[in-house]
Amino acid sequence: MSTEALLTATGLTAGYGQVQVLQNIDFHVGRGEIVVILGANGAGKTTTMRALSGMIGRRGSVMFDGTEMVNAKPDAILRAGISQVPQGRGTFTDLSVEDNLMTGAYSRKGDVSEDLERWFDAFPRLRERRTQRAGGLSGGEQQMLAIARAMMSRPTLLLCDEPSLGLAPLITQELFRILAQASRDTGMSLLIVEQNANLALALADRAYVLETGTIVAQGTGAELLADDTIKRAYLGVG
Amino acid sequence: MMLAFDSSLFIQRMVDGLGEGSIYAMLALSIVVVFRATGQLNFAQGEIGLFGAFIVSTLTLSDVPIALAILIAMVVGAVLAATIERVVIRPIEHRNPGAVVVASIGLFLGINQLHSMIWGPNARSLPSVFPNDADDFFRLFGAPVRWERFGIFLVLLVLLALLWVLFNKTKIGLAMRAVANNQESAGLAGIRVGGILMIGWGLAAAISVLAASLLAPQGGLSASLMFGPFLIASAAATLGGLDSPIGAVVGGLALGLIKAIIIGYVGFLGGDMVFTVSLMIILVVLLWRPGGLFGTVTVERV
Repeated sequence: MSTEALLTATGLTAGYGQVQVLQNIDFHVGRGEIVVILGANGAGKTTTMRALSGMIGRRGSVMFDGTEMVNAKPDAILRAGISQVPQGRGTFTDLSVEDNLMTGAYSRKGDVSEDLERWFDAFPRLRERRTQRAGGLSGGEQQMLAIARAMMSRPTLLLCDEPSLGLAPLITQELFRILAQASRDTGMSLLIVEQNANLALALADRAYVLETGTIVAQGTGAELLADDTIKRAYLGVG
Repeated sequence: MMLAFDSSLFIQRMVDGLGEGSIYAMLALSIVVVFRATGQLNFAQGEIGLFGAFIVSTLTLSDVPIALAILIAMVVGAVLAATIERVVIRPIEHRNPGAVVVASIGLFLGINQLHSMIWGPNARSLPSVFPNDADDFFRLFGAPVRWERFGIFLVLLVLLALLWVLFNKTKIGLAMRAVANNQESAGLAGIRVGGILMIGWGLAAAISVLAASLLAPQGGLSASLMFGPFLIASAAATLGGLDSPIGAVVGGLALGLIKAIIIGYVGFLGGDMVFTVSLMIILVVLLWRPGGLFGTVTVERV
């Protein structure tokens, strides 16, 4: 793992209208690194993701690959290499599976059929259903579709907003395995926000704990797993 | 009293019905284009088209050829509608779903007033793109078919083909469908949602201008020209399915035929009976088959 930071957020503050959700948080993601932000409902996980992809107003600094991104628009952020798997999957329910994947490649020029095949290989279930309307997929299949769609833009940093939500642990495990594999294959960095600490920490190089919009702990996966407070709050043990 | 069935007259009425239905189909297409690219309904659609037709009349009075005049007016209508989307619709669309509907009804009334203010209360005549003298017809199975009717029908088919290619084979069409389905995800995919909304409104306006400019030579150009056709087109779009271009065309042609049959064979009901039929179609479709004949019924597993 390289320690050179790909993404560095400093004093990041964001919210909706008058309501400030994130208060001055600092974190970074190294090149090829897998970083997890743990937090309960309402801690500000989704707000963090939306701030990074430019979907909401934010202040502070977000340096990505040497460029300040805190005022950039969503399409510029995507083209710079940050792609997001939104919470609840964000499926285009009326579009076919294949068209969903093609929207993921919207920001790219030229032929993308190679990527299409690559992700159909990773998720054969999606290939079987490529002409079907995506709204008819199961929850697990929709999450696969959301990940594959986000990967179609060939990101250098993939943001995943609670990928385990509503999925059976075995499916979550399989998805995490595929994400880690993609990170190893391409050197892509991963930033995952999760409530489900067990699976996420097993995957993570490093993790942060977010509580009511502030980072209250950070460390390697092993360090956080050893912390009693964190065990009680997020692992349901201790 | 027995009446012999006159097949030549029947064919002629069906052709008239298809010709008039083509106009309804074009207007229905413009409703579908806005809906498919933005998920919105624009009740000012017919009036924007009429605004364009008035521009066509002004241009032709300055000796601009009619076909060129229509093209110019389509561009002007598109720019006007894109501006309306940006300035009027965008600031309110996130307030609540009803806001856009109410705003578009306001636009309907406002633009209609504008016509009378700019172009005065008197009806104008508009030249036809197609030959439309008394003897400009050919015979189909013995029945006379006017070139104008036939030409409008051909324009409709070309338009439908172009829209099919746009929505299904181009990147911008994919972006339009994505924006209509899920704006948040479209934004995350790097689609400039605002730009797509403006393109959707602009494209629909250009189609409305075309429809109004082809209708005006027959009905005469006046501020009330589009009231009836727009109502019928709304029924056509509902019948066909609000997100289906093919559905809009089938619905529009069907209503044109229904009108021709009512006038031709049950004339004592009066031609306005088609409005009653239109409203009944809207009601019945919404009750029993909300997706229309060809439209998408959104399925979502959770």
